[in-house]
Amino acid sequence: MKDLTFSTGCAIAQNIKDGKVSPDEAHSFFKERIKKLDPQLKSFVEIYPDPLKEEGASALAGAPIAIKDNICIKGKRISCASKILSSHISVYDATVIGRLKRAGLQIIGTTNMDEFAFGSSTENSCYGTTKNPWDFSRVPGGSSGGSAAAVAARLVPFALGSDTGGSIRQPASFCGVVGFKPTYGRVSRYGLVAFGSSLDQIGPITTNFSDCAHLLNIICGHDSKDSTSTPKDVVDFTQALKDEAKNVKIGIPKEYFAQGLNQEVKKALDSVIEVFKDKGAKITEISLPHTEYAVATYYIVASSEASSNLQRFDGIRYGLRAAGTNLKDVYMNTRGEGFGDEAKRRIFLGTYSLSSGYYEAYYVQALKVRRLIKEDFDKAFNKVDVILTPTSPTPAFKIGEKATDPLSMYLSDVYTISANLAGVPAVSFPCGFSKDNLPIGAQLIGKEFDESTLIRLGYSFQNVTDFHKKIPAL
Amino acid sequence: MNKYDIVIGLEVHVQLKTDSKIFCSCSTQFEAPPNTNICPVCCGYPGVLPVFNQKALDLGVRVGLALNCQMNEKIYFERKNYFYPDLPKNYQISQYKMPLGENGKLQLPGGKKIGIKRVHLEEDAGKLIHSINHSLVDLNRTGIPLLEIVSEPDIESAQEAFDYLTQLKLILQYIGASECEMEKGLLRCDANISLKPKQAKELGVKVELKNMNSFRGVRDALSYEAKRQEKALEENERIVQETRLWDEAEQISVSMRSKEEAHDYRYFPEPDLLDFKVSKDCIESQKDFVGELPLKKRKRFLESYGLSEKEVDIIISNLSIADFFEESCKEFNEPKKIANWILGPFLEQVNSLADKLNEVKITAPNFAKIVKLFCEGKLNNLTAKRVLSLALTTNRDIDEIIEKEGLVQVSSEDELGCFAKEVIKENPKPVGQYKEGKEQAIMFLVGQMMKKTKGKANPKIARQILEKILKESG
Repeated sequence: MKDLTFSTGCAIAQNIKDGKVSPDEAHSFFKERIKKLDPQLKSFVEIYPDPLKEEGASALAGAPIAIKDNICIKGKRISCASKILSSHISVYDATVIGRLKRAGLQIIGTTNMDEFAFGSSTENSCYGTTKNPWDFSRVPGGSSGGSAAAVAARLVPFALGSDTGGSIRQPASFCGVVGFKPTYGRVSRYGLVAFGSSLDQIGPITTNFSDCAHLLNIICGHDSKDSTSTPKDVVDFTQALKDEAKNVKIGIPKEYFAQGLNQEVKKALDSVIEVFKDKGAKITEISLPHTEYAVATYYIVASSEASSNLQRFDGIRYGLRAAGTNLKDVYMNTRGEGFGDEAKRRIFLGTYSLSSGYYEAYYVQALKVRRLIKEDFDKAFNKVDVILTPTSPTPAFKIGEKATDPLSMYLSDVYTISANLAGVPAVSFPCGFSKDNLPIGAQLIGKEFDESTLIRLGYSFQNVTDFHKKIPAL
Repeated sequence: MNKYDIVIGLEVHVQLKTDSKIFCSCSTQFEAPPNTNICPVCCGYPGVLPVFNQKALDLGVRVGLALNCQMNEKIYFERKNYFYPDLPKNYQISQYKMPLGENGKLQLPGGKKIGIKRVHLEEDAGKLIHSINHSLVDLNRTGIPLLEIVSEPDIESAQEAFDYLTQLKLILQYIGASECEMEKGLLRCDANISLKPKQAKELGVKVELKNMNSFRGVRDALSYEAKRQEKALEENERIVQETRLWDEAEQISVSMRSKEEAHDYRYFPEPDLLDFKVSKDCIESQKDFVGELPLKKRKRFLESYGLSEKEVDIIISNLSIADFFEESCKEFNEPKKIANWILGPFLEQVNSLADKLNEVKITAPNFAKIVKLFCEGKLNNLTAKRVLSLALTTNRDIDEIIEKEGLVQVSSEDELGCFAKEVIKENPKPVGQYKEGKEQAIMFLVGQMMKKTKGKANPKIARQILEKILKESG
């Protein structure tokens, strides 16, 4: 059988189109690879015996894809890596799943994550921790850690993740792959189990920008089932696959290069700046003055929404139901047994922020700061086309290192959170390795609905570098 | 009740007359088998999102306009969070800070105006069916569009509350916003009541009354509660702020929960729905549907048709009857006669139909024709009613009915003369009584004439002929 390990999704689809590989062969190849490597990596939650596929045409038709376990697939288990949902079979397809099926992709299984996407390490999963394929003693990042690890290990050419505060980009950075969070409203959230409804976006995790652009073409677009999805036309993102960075104005926000930033990460970012300079881009220092409030703001807004979104998991209609002698006991026992510690922590945090007497001081205040953060970006984008930052202050940390210190875990998202609060698109792509051979990610943040510039710059970078072609030794 | 003022405010929930639910496309059909009008959205499955039904907004706006509310230009929904098994998401999508309309008023027939504090849109919850050892949930009603109409505490007696409800129902029915049938749960009413010493500025402690199943129930509950509170005040007892349930069978209210157990609903803006602009076009187009409201119609009918208040009140109590009356008058300009026939035979026959007015097919011109033929003596009371009953649910042609059923009134002296002679011959005893001066006996003979002619005889002429023959025969 043809070795597809190094093949991009586009290349696999092309091979299928050319008759060099059959869709079944492509599926078998990756299924075998998963069988061999995933028992240690633990990136998958479920591997389907037969892939889900429909007749469909696109540049990616026939290519296998994996889905984060918080996106509904009709007839399949959806758990969000939580005990409370673990037996639930989805009764409908998320809009993105319908789009993938119509584009002819093969859905091969679901990937691990932090419970309900609460976390930055995939340690908060009822299925156990996914390992970082570059170093099994380290976390893959999170919450889309399963998707990022699987793609990095080439167990699947690409996967979907979801990003509420960096859940696509941070694990992409830890695992050395491309993770793209589109503009809020670009991709329908219908069928994505909600965490922070005003922040959540589904996006692709790929090894390269070409696959990324093609997947975005498939999943973006208006959906009448999601009122927050934009009716704006979607451009053909593959048109941006050009090595062209001349005169692009790139802003470097000084707040993202201040204390707390690992020196190796800083060095890698400096080299990214050099690459873009060489290509004729204009580098300007900018300021996003409210950056320091982003983490606090995010944890109030996201947890408030989450506390309400998670109320439906009560044991009455689906999922786990614990015994109890009265209604209140059924609620308390079900939720007590069903939710993990981090989920409970966020529910408490959100419930508190929304409670009478605290609402104005926390939730309303957070909304005000959120508006200021958005205005920071609006002002910055008057001056520059795109913003370049590190994705995470450090490379992947050790399993267990931050598990008992929620605050330091929360701070690992310090660079990714603002893009969700502002609703703007952002992408993480590999830009170097630490001396311990851990991937380092760079982040590009764009103007609302200007995914294309991010793709163009990312593609330009990958055209002259080969970080994205490195594969962990497994 | 001389020492105290009664202060009452009513909260009315009405089901808006839409074909589909407020946030999904499920049917709103009444009495469907349990859990058949449901989908993942109204069942609160993981990952679903609400999409707002424009028709509910239109009807809400219409009600707001009919109640003279100031309509807010920008509205948004909020989540009202609480756990209950009939509420699948464990939050209700409602409006809180920015309702659809505010500061309206409703005029009672006596002239007094009751303030309308606010009208707002929300989704209904499901229904619980309790058994001895289990409870079942029917979610057909979940997501039905409701409009909550909150009055100011301007109502001063139980009877005034009854009048308010009656007038409100009439208005809502007139503008086609709701059927308002309380027995079908299309209208529900909770009441707040407190007492204060006359001239006192400060309001007393209020009690909320629930579980009233009819307007009369509301009146009874309020009367009971006013007396209970008065007695308590007289005996220097403290009134507790609480919710009390009305027990229809026992005609008493019983305490359900006190304020200490009240919920903190943690309202916050619904992130799954965008803000809505209530456009000028929407308001203008709904103004057209408001039309002539009941009180105005009442005044006009009293002035233009020479009817009594009682007659007018019955006719205007239903818009289709009022319209039917006016159309009939256009065909046969004898309002009093038309009114007599509507309030008499027409409503009598309608009330014996299983589905009442819904089954009525007869057009106003055809109805007017029957009344006209009766007034012209071409149909007698009996035959006219018979024609009406044959046309009521069929709208058959009136002339055709009369001809086919042979209901043409017999007025010719020749024809009636023969019958009269027969009747005189066959009834010697009454004839003898008549001749002895017992004038009443003639009525029996007229009755016999009607019998012989199968009701077709013109009773007036039949009597004249009988009298003539009997006189001639000495």
